[in-house]
Amino acid sequence: MTSTLVIFIVLSLLTLYAAYRVATAHLITHAALFLAGTFAGVAALFFMLQADFLAAVQLLLYAGAVMAVVVFAIMLSQMREAGDHVPRWVDALRSPFFGFLPLISSVALFVILLISYLDTPWPSSATAAAVNSTRYVAVPLFQSYALPFEVASVLLLAALIGAIVLTRREDDR
Amino acid sequence: MNILLAAILKVIGVLMFVGLNAYILIWGERKVSGHIQRRIGPIRVGGPSGIMQSAADILKLMSKEDFVPSGADWWLWVLAPVVSVAPAVLVYLVLPIGRTLVLRNLNVGLVFFSSVSSFTLLGIFMAGWGSNNKYSLLGAMRAGAQLFSYEIPLILSTIGVVMLAGSLTLQRIVAAQTHYGWFIFPQIVGFIVFFVASVAELNRTPFDLAEAESELVAGYFTEYSGMRWAMFAIAEYSNLFTLSALGVTLFLGGWHGPLLPGWVWFVLKSYFLVFVGIWIRWTLPRVRIDQLMDLGWKFLFPVSVLNLLGTGLYLMVR
Repeated sequence: MTSTLVIFIVLSLLTLYAAYRVATAHLITHAALFLAGTFAGVAALFFMLQADFLAAVQLLLYAGAVMAVVVFAIMLSQMREAGDHVPRWVDALRSPFFGFLPLISSVALFVILLISYLDTPWPSSATAAAVNSTRYVAVPLFQSYALPFEVASVLLLAALIGAIVLTRREDDR
Repeated sequence: MNILLAAILKVIGVLMFVGLNAYILIWGERKVSGHIQRRIGPIRVGGPSGIMQSAADILKLMSKEDFVPSGADWWLWVLAPVVSVAPAVLVYLVLPIGRTLVLRNLNVGLVFFSSVSSFTLLGIFMAGWGSNNKYSLLGAMRAGAQLFSYEIPLILSTIGVVMLAGSLTLQRIVAAQTHYGWFIFPQIVGFIVFFVASVAELNRTPFDLAEAESELVAGYFTEYSGMRWAMFAIAEYSNLFTLSALGVTLFLGGWHGPLLPGWVWFVLKSYFLVFVGIWIRWTLPRVRIDQLMDLGWKFLFPVSVLNLLGTGLYLMVR
């Protein structure tokens, strides 16, 4: 067993454990911090695949985003409720928002990911490692897929303006 | 095994520097503050020039009781100092110390630096949450807002340099400054934004709202003592050095300089920026939280975007 394989196995196990705890942690703060751990693990796997730009961006965006999530979680949720009450899994499965809706959507997501995974031709050797991975990300993003990129950013802008309008106090005008 | 040995030696070297750097900077901060504010103690006490005071402090910190506050979230509380120190140590990986002296010349050195240092916020938050103390949590929430807001102008201000140099590799950015001269001259706006934002990122006065002593006891590390507290201090001073070193790399010509070898220039320039940071800390009073947010979002952010626009126009017209 090579050292790369050992590192890979350890990283994957840590990432999977963190992802599992995101769903099962009782406190929403813990869930968000485990989410940060999951993102960091995925970023480390990207580094192992020599996709260094993706890895760095993964860390940069998601670590910051997780902090925003945590802050909102503290401000918007009532901590006491989330603590001790754990329903039996049969009851949980019957209620739509805790049981079958998340189950169906996650199974659907898993199937989609599996299909796209099986359809993608993977390079069989490590020789194709990108010399400048930033360029390989930037050129498609700003040339061939420029329009979807712009559409996504306009969508985000609309969401941003919506959030500001919704949270603004009435007496501020 | 040679690679492993080299890696271990590098890690030991970095850790030794981190410790030494904290020692020097705590001494330096005491001396500079003593001279600026006429504090008699730090100038006179503790061996020749007060250099032994920090050694006494280390002994005191190591002999302190390891105290966990009641009701603390144990795992978060214990892991928080580690999570704060880890990014502070990791960023040394990409610092271009000399012409050929860099631990790992990553393709995306600059993005790596910003992304790893953004994890500091997680450590601060874990400390604030885990302590089960209202002052800690308030400090952590403030730090969240502040670091989150100032990271954006900090990164935007470096992109102008990246556009001129045409690379995210820190070594190439330094090399590009033989062609343009130091980037502080064409990117003076970027440098000002970078410097202000980095003082805010480091949680130092005038932007030390996360640990404001007169309001929040000590902010997110109120409940920490002994070596756990020392780890936060070590991370803080290490971040002060590395962010100054990043400023030197991007704007002040990195290891370029006459006569002396490159790494000497790099260290000298970095410690000069560190000195300016300490100087600011002991000269200016703390700002209010609304002033802090206004400065970040209404001044630094638009100015850095305009700087980006100007740099882009220059590159197109040229």
